[in-house]
Amino acid sequence: MAAAESLGMAAAGGKTYSFKVVLLGEGCVGKTSLVLRYCENKFNDKHITTLQASFLTKKLNITGKRVNLAIWDTAGQERFHALGPIYYRDSNGAILVYDVTDEDSFQKVKNWVKELRKMLGNEICLCIVGNKIDLEKERHVSVEEAEGYAESVGAKHYHTSAKLNKGIEELFLDLCKRMMETAQAEERSRGNGASHTSTARRGVQIVDDEPQTAMPAGGCCTSG
Amino acid sequence: MAMLTTLVCFARVVCLCRAHYVTRLLLSWCMNCRPDVQIQITMTNMFLYLDKRDTMSQRSERRGIHVDQSELLCKKGCGYYGNAAWQGLCSKCWREEYQRARQRQIQEDWALAEKLQREEEAAYVSSHSSSQTQPPQSHSQQSLATFSKFEEKKTNEKTRKVTTVKKFFSPSSRTAPKKESHEGKAPSPSITRQSSIETDRVSRDFVEFLKTLQKPGREVHKQSRGFIESMGNKKDLSAEELSECVQDFYQGMSDRLLNHFKGSSEKVDRVMDQVEKYIMTRLYKSVFCPETSDDEKKDLATQRRIRALHWVTIQMLCVPVDEEIPEVSDSVVKAITDIIEMDSKRVPRDKLACITSCSKHIFNTIRVTKNEPASADDFLPTLIYIVLKANPPRLQSNIQYITRFCNPSRLMTGEDGYYFTNLCCAVAFIEKLDAQSLNLSPEEFERYMSGQASPRRQDDPAAWPQSGSRVNPALSQIHHNLKLLSNLEKRQQQVTEGAQNLQTELAEWQDSVAREVQEILERYPLEIKPRASAIDAENVENDRLPPPLQPQVFAG
Repeated sequence: MAAAESLGMAAAGGKTYSFKVVLLGEGCVGKTSLVLRYCENKFNDKHITTLQASFLTKKLNITGKRVNLAIWDTAGQERFHALGPIYYRDSNGAILVYDVTDEDSFQKVKNWVKELRKMLGNEICLCIVGNKIDLEKERHVSVEEAEGYAESVGAKHYHTSAKLNKGIEELFLDLCKRMMETAQAEERSRGNGASHTSTARRGVQIVDDEPQTAMPAGGCCTSG
Repeated sequence: MAMLTTLVCFARVVCLCRAHYVTRLLLSWCMNCRPDVQIQITMTNMFLYLDKRDTMSQRSERRGIHVDQSELLCKKGCGYYGNAAWQGLCSKCWREEYQRARQRQIQEDWALAEKLQREEEAAYVSSHSSSQTQPPQSHSQQSLATFSKFEEKKTNEKTRKVTTVKKFFSPSSRTAPKKESHEGKAPSPSITRQSSIETDRVSRDFVEFLKTLQKPGREVHKQSRGFIESMGNKKDLSAEELSECVQDFYQGMSDRLLNHFKGSSEKVDRVMDQVEKYIMTRLYKSVFCPETSDDEKKDLATQRRIRALHWVTIQMLCVPVDEEIPEVSDSVVKAITDIIEMDSKRVPRDKLACITSCSKHIFNTIRVTKNEPASADDFLPTLIYIVLKANPPRLQSNIQYITRFCNPSRLMTGEDGYYFTNLCCAVAFIEKLDAQSLNLSPEEFERYMSGQASPRRQDDPAAWPQSGSRVNPALSQIHHNLKLLSNLEKRQQQVTEGAQNLQTELAEWQDSVAREVQEILERYPLEIKPRASAIDAENVENDRLPPPLQPQVFAG
């Protein structure tokens, strides 16, 4: 388990994982409520102490490993759709939120999934979240359809309600575990060579009397 | 003659000490006073003797061997003997020359003093690191630099002796040509030459900070310096390659620190922040908006674009901000100030801090307006609006600079990184902005862009004054002030009129009083009645007095 001591986000180092998670989804599906409920356990009160809900962090301890979660909210309006890649660049996970009472918002999620897979491949952990299950009576997206779709694209599906605080803890906990697995897998594969090139390059460019010896190749991200 | 012999003996003694300048000077001094052949011979012998003793200096050797009458005369051709220590001039010509040179020297000294101070500041920095012994050395070389030519090839040991001798003969050293003083300058690293007050301050802070780390601190300093110097040779690399160098350096440094601090990432981050501050302050000039990139062109394009979009309103962007609330408009102004201020910072992290501060003000405007925490749905449009209003200078260059040279751990995951990403989004949005993204028809958009129409004029004319006052509180304030001013003017006029009335009334009153007085005076002219001037006049009892006694005659 030595590999777990350092991790994919090299800069954070040590035994601490740092993950970036983006929140994607149409406006009004409850992205902000979801994350506020998770980080501050608040819903619809006046939140006077919280200045903003667009960037929130959460510290977790999962099976003895510290995890710093940075949750990036994104503007959901259609006209900002093209800016997506700037937001989700370098993110470890994405939470795609739709409103179970709104068929359109689910279609948007499908678009996002296609785009993310195209741009980031399988490195990113996807969660598809049907929010507002407290409005079960007005449901327009069927559970079977949503879960079937999620499985077909390699994503996990969750049902949540920010209002009733349902399913949110599980969603984030699951996501963190999956991101940790991905990070560890990545470390192992990177240990086999990818980082050597950068180290070699470094040795050439820096005037340095103890270049590589002080720092084993890829010391930051291999099991070294 | 006896005196001369003594002198020669003395010269010999001195020459044994190898300070043959003294000898030479003494001899030429004698020569100038009593130019006679015997002394010359003695002197020639003396030189030969000197040259046997000391063959280090080629010039003096040549002089010693080839010395003859013509060479010993003053170079100005005045007929007196010249003196090697006085640049081959006689005492009189020398004095004139010296006075002139001294004026020049004083000016040069000022320049030199300034340079020295700068180098000393650099030396202060390096004196704290174990590896740097160069600056003190450079200082001694500096003082030598003004010394005479034939000492150039001497070893350090000898030159130090000469330095002390030099003090006795400062005039000769002063005349050292300007060029030479530059040659003698210490080969200090080119970077320190351009050091400004700010970089010096940053260096000092950096050294102070590293002192707390002790040995690894010295190591960090050494490597940072080495890196800066190596970057000095890479000026013609492309911006991307420069960025890669810096990023590699960050990576290497943080890896090593991570090893050293055994994984305490907070400590590593603290050190890395300082390293970034130090190296980027120094590299800023050469890597910000480098000539090899087209950053500048992009800057201008973005600036023009933002100017062309001056007509975009809060309503079009759906910005949840109500500028009529004073606190909100205050925050808007502060946000604009912060984003403009970004350009003035040198360190990527300081630039990021400006963006963060701007974002905080934006959150405040949203919170005050909507009374709930701002989500990204609110934040991004507001940021776009602020960028459009501010039109920050060199926006693209700044973004590129931060992307290229910021420590990645800050940029990727931190809060600062989030705001920076949003700024990038805002700029990207502004660049690609079209009719659809503002909910306008393409025709409308075209008209606004070409300046044929302005969105406000399109409003219902009836709503104009109202919307006018709502859109621009400053304008309504101006109207209000104007009204107050015109009121004030009216009242002032009234006051002036009143004052004039009062004045005329006063004048009239004065006249009338004068007239009245005149009338009265005319009516009752002053009459002075003649008075009885008799002595008895005042005696009221006079009447009652019996008549004066008459003399009576009695018959007798």
